[in-house]
Amino acid sequence: MTAEKHGGNSLSESLTDPDGILSSLFFSSLSVFLGLASAGVLMLFLGHSPAAVYRDLFSFAFRDVYNIADIFAKAAPLILTGLAFAFAFRAGLFNIGAQGQFYLGAVTSAACALSFPFLPSWLLLPLCAAASMAAGGLWGGMTGYFKARFNANEFLVSMMSTYVAVAIMDFLVRSPLREAKGEYPQTDVLAEASWIPSFLSGTRFHWGFFLALAAAGAAWVLLWKTTLGFRMRAVGKNRSAARFAGIREKNVFVSVFLVSGAFAGLAGFLEVNGVQHMVVQGFNPLLGAEGIGIAVLGGAHPLGVVLSALLFGALKVGGLLVTQTSSVPSSIIAILEGFVMLYVILSFYLRHRLRRACARRRAAAGGEAP
Amino acid sequence: MESPHTEALSLRGITKVFPGVLANDDVNLSARRGEILAILGENGAGKSTLMKILYGMYQPDSGTVSVNGRTVGIRSPKDALALGIGMIHQHFTLVPVHTVWENVVLGLDSSSGRPSDGKGAALELEKLGSRYGLEVDPLAVVADLSVGMQQKTEILKALYRSVSILVLDEPTAVLTPGEADNLFGFLREFRAAGNTVLFITHKLGEVMEIADRIEVLRGGRNAGSFLQGEVSERELAARMVGGDIPPVGEPSVRPAGRDVLEVRDLWVRGGRGYYAVRGVSFAVRAGEILGIAGVSGNGQEELADCVCGLARQERGEIRLDGRILPREDPGAVFRAGVGYIPADRHREGLVLDMTVEENLVLKNLSAYSRKGFLREGAMRKNAERLIGEYGIRPPLPGSRTASLSGGNQQKVVAAREIEAGRKCIVAVQPTRGLDLGAAAHVHRMLAAARNEGRAVLLVSTELSEVVSLSDTVAVMSGGEIAGIFPRESADLRTIGLLMAGRKGEPS
Amino acid sequence: MILEGLLARAVQMSTPLLLGALGEVMVERTGVMNMAIEGIFLLGAWAGFTGAYITGSLSAGFLCAMAAGVVVGVLYGWITVFLKQHQIVTGVALNILAAGIGIFFYRVLFGVPLLPLTVEPLRPLAVPFLSAIPVLGPALFRQNILTYLAWGAMPLGWWVLFRTRAGLVLRSTGANPEAVDAAGISVERVRFGAVLAASALSGLAGAFYSIGYLGLFSNDMIGGRGWIAFALCFLGNWNPLGALLGAVVFGIADAAAITLQTSGIRMVPNEFLIALPYVLTIAATLARKRFNVPASLGTAYTKEEK
Repeated sequence: MTAEKHGGNSLSESLTDPDGILSSLFFSSLSVFLGLASAGVLMLFLGHSPAAVYRDLFSFAFRDVYNIADIFAKAAPLILTGLAFAFAFRAGLFNIGAQGQFYLGAVTSAACALSFPFLPSWLLLPLCAAASMAAGGLWGGMTGYFKARFNANEFLVSMMSTYVAVAIMDFLVRSPLREAKGEYPQTDVLAEASWIPSFLSGTRFHWGFFLALAAAGAAWVLLWKTTLGFRMRAVGKNRSAARFAGIREKNVFVSVFLVSGAFAGLAGFLEVNGVQHMVVQGFNPLLGAEGIGIAVLGGAHPLGVVLSALLFGALKVGGLLVTQTSSVPSSIIAILEGFVMLYVILSFYLRHRLRRACARRRAAAGGEAP
Repeated sequence: MESPHTEALSLRGITKVFPGVLANDDVNLSARRGEILAILGENGAGKSTLMKILYGMYQPDSGTVSVNGRTVGIRSPKDALALGIGMIHQHFTLVPVHTVWENVVLGLDSSSGRPSDGKGAALELEKLGSRYGLEVDPLAVVADLSVGMQQKTEILKALYRSVSILVLDEPTAVLTPGEADNLFGFLREFRAAGNTVLFITHKLGEVMEIADRIEVLRGGRNAGSFLQGEVSERELAARMVGGDIPPVGEPSVRPAGRDVLEVRDLWVRGGRGYYAVRGVSFAVRAGEILGIAGVSGNGQEELADCVCGLARQERGEIRLDGRILPREDPGAVFRAGVGYIPADRHREGLVLDMTVEENLVLKNLSAYSRKGFLREGAMRKNAERLIGEYGIRPPLPGSRTASLSGGNQQKVVAAREIEAGRKCIVAVQPTRGLDLGAAAHVHRMLAAARNEGRAVLLVSTELSEVVSLSDTVAVMSGGEIAGIFPRESADLRTIGLLMAGRKGEPS
Repeated sequence: MILEGLLARAVQMSTPLLLGALGEVMVERTGVMNMAIEGIFLLGAWAGFTGAYITGSLSAGFLCAMAAGVVVGVLYGWITVFLKQHQIVTGVALNILAAGIGIFFYRVLFGVPLLPLTVEPLRPLAVPFLSAIPVLGPALFRQNILTYLAWGAMPLGWWVLFRTRAGLVLRSTGANPEAVDAAGISVERVRFGAVLAASALSGLAGAFYSIGYLGLFSNDMIGGRGWIAFALCFLGNWNPLGALLGAVVFGIADAAAITLQTSGIRMVPNEFLIALPYVLTIAATLARKRFNVPASLGTAYTKEEK
């Protein structure tokens, strides 16, 4: 949706157009590349050749069907936590509590499955999914309510709520929901009726991935095709104008957090019912934080989130194998994510400067078109 | 005053360009020791810019500044202070939550020779205060002080740093007459001590009262330099506004009808707690454009904001077609049929990152939604129609509004508001930042709305715009309506005088 | 007896919270939020441990921790103050990166040992006479040196902030950067300096957990306490003494949780106690309506160019 300015697009204009897909792709790719390079420098400390490590990483990731399928399995929940952050970000809000919303979605889904193991799949699965979204949504909505009612700092509240959610999950997994054996802090294996059917047998790629894609699609529709999305975007881009236009911010805050939390909660359903088939204390502890990185890399756009999640999925699958077969520690992935995010932030600055330079050149060249 | 006057400062050939605006065009100015120089001009004349260059906040594109005969480069306020130049800005640079002495002492050079601890500073301030008649309690918190006291604090800040050239930017804009008298008393004392005062103002009365010399600026250029006693108020007013009658716009197609927008005894508070609008009453009739002229800061914007629900009404009544308008609810005012073209289109008018078609429906989403989903077809049609009617370029409903030129952005706002304002349209500074072509277009739109029988309230600091477009002209000064007349009997000089705070025929 | 132990532990556990909160107060008073605080805590914990382990000196460890904090601070400050990018997003990025680097280099240097590597943590230094006072004595006067420093730093910080010229500049920068600019002081330099100071303090605070208390390093040893220090700045109303009060309250909550857990009393589930500090933070954030928020907090300052 770029405008034809007075006299065609120059390359620099396309590259710095904040809505341009070309621009976002270019800078995202550049950031990933630089991130890989920076993490690669650290690998030198270990005496590893980054080229060799990366070559291994990508060849492992695509080595066989199982691994390729695993990419999708890993990407699925990342899409959702990425959506959680991205969605709220569009309204100018910061949902840092996706990890907590994810955990609560997970235990709620597990609790459902444990309470109704006798139900047939076609009933139990939607029930679990709905339960996970409700749990995550309500937990997130709480943050939104606090912001609306008390003007609380949603960053802090959502951050703290994650730790509270962790405590709740720990409690549940240690007592009421604990496995019959009582040996470990985890639940029993869930009834097969609650397992998300596998898409590719012999792999971990389950139908939940498509559910995540559908969620991304739903996010896109919500943002650009509904009035709620319109209001969200208006509030996110210009609060004064939105207020002047009569848009009620407080309602937007609550709605946004409800939806955002629901996305994260659904990730819990995906992981519990699709992969683990049980809840283990402290599983997937970085899903929320990674979601933030993915959202930033993806430009807070559902399509970008999906692509970034797939990329990170590939990095994780390949990376895990690399760490298993060599002495490169798994923390390299977090380092990679951190670097990529930093480069994305720097690219924002670069684009801003380029845009200003372009605008100044244009203003100097001629006046405005009537 | 027989003491020899030597030149304290001189600005030669100062030119300053901002994107799209020539703020100062080869301006010359000089001031002597022991003299009060008044810099007189309307909004946009370039007075503030010139003084900010002197104070080191801007760098001139060309020209020189000399202080005490030496050419100097003033890169920052620190340099200015080192040369003995102090400035009292229109918007005080005080920290409200701190005390007077803390504000005075902030950033004080250790070589200044004045104490920077609480006790020492308080004593020193008391001494300075009584010397110049600027008594303020050094331990008072600035936020608790009256505006006049805050200004005294600003002045003490400058005096504490031993300035010999004091620049004041519209200092009496926020003062009561009594406080203004106090200020003038201080200025006379300060001058008597051999110092220099540069006094920016648009008020003729003050100029006649206190200035030794007067420099008039208009449109970024020098427009006359006079000694006190050599020139009349009328002549000054003429120099200020240009003296030519602007081209008359098209007259109204039909005579005005009933009162549509009635304002009675309205009182609105300004940003600093004092009353910006004081008991204003007027009515705008159907098929009429009422233009409110006046120098910025005399309450016009607060008045318009209040009508549209953005500012609080302390006292008084606003009626639309006889019914009281909803208060402080911009959405409701909009739905009642009042369109509002705000002064700052970037902040209140548009969401720049959204598309043109989205901005056009920003204020009445419910009309374009069905079951929560946007009716994109309807939005698109609406946008295409308005783009055609109002000549928005480029004619692409899906373009990002930020990529449009300023003129076209304003057309988007105007289109939306004029469409919605089926009863009344309030336009504040509608052509600010627009080039001539775009401005003319906006004027045509407003005139067309008027011709359809709507009431239009125009608020603008561009006198020529008000006079050429309006059927009735009102002048606002000091929060009150100083005068209101039909366009035919509007005399530019009288208006200039009213704007400058004088009433009636001068001597 | 239990009460004594509880108080002593509370004071001890409040140390890193105090240091972190003091730094945060300083930097937020200039209008910048240090959003990378949790990551700096962890990196500081790692750096402190590594420095102490390699050199055998705890002081060296603490210095390393502060240096590590400053490194992150330089990055964060440059991006948010000079490049004027978003503070929250930058903070999230640096949190992830700093934590990752700490964990990574721990692995690089020490591998995966069967038993966790340890250093001898700080020993308590008893103040003669005063430590003999019943109840309060051991709590306040039989603590390690870092605790004494931290508790001493708070009134010192208050004095610097409210009674010195530098403190006046700091507070003015957050309250009205235009005023500071008009006085000829560089707003950006003030803010950048404050970010560096806060980062150094946060690095030091993180090292408390590794070499001041436990004597080892583990990947999740900070557990959100950096954020609690961050919240204390708010809750203490941007005043070091207020933060001190808050840190004591949280220290007690933290200590109570540990005491109850180890003593085996099972009145309430453990997890409830663990969650208590975080719940308190949320509750306090909601209850505090009238804040003395520095007016320019969170917004980058750009000189007005007409």
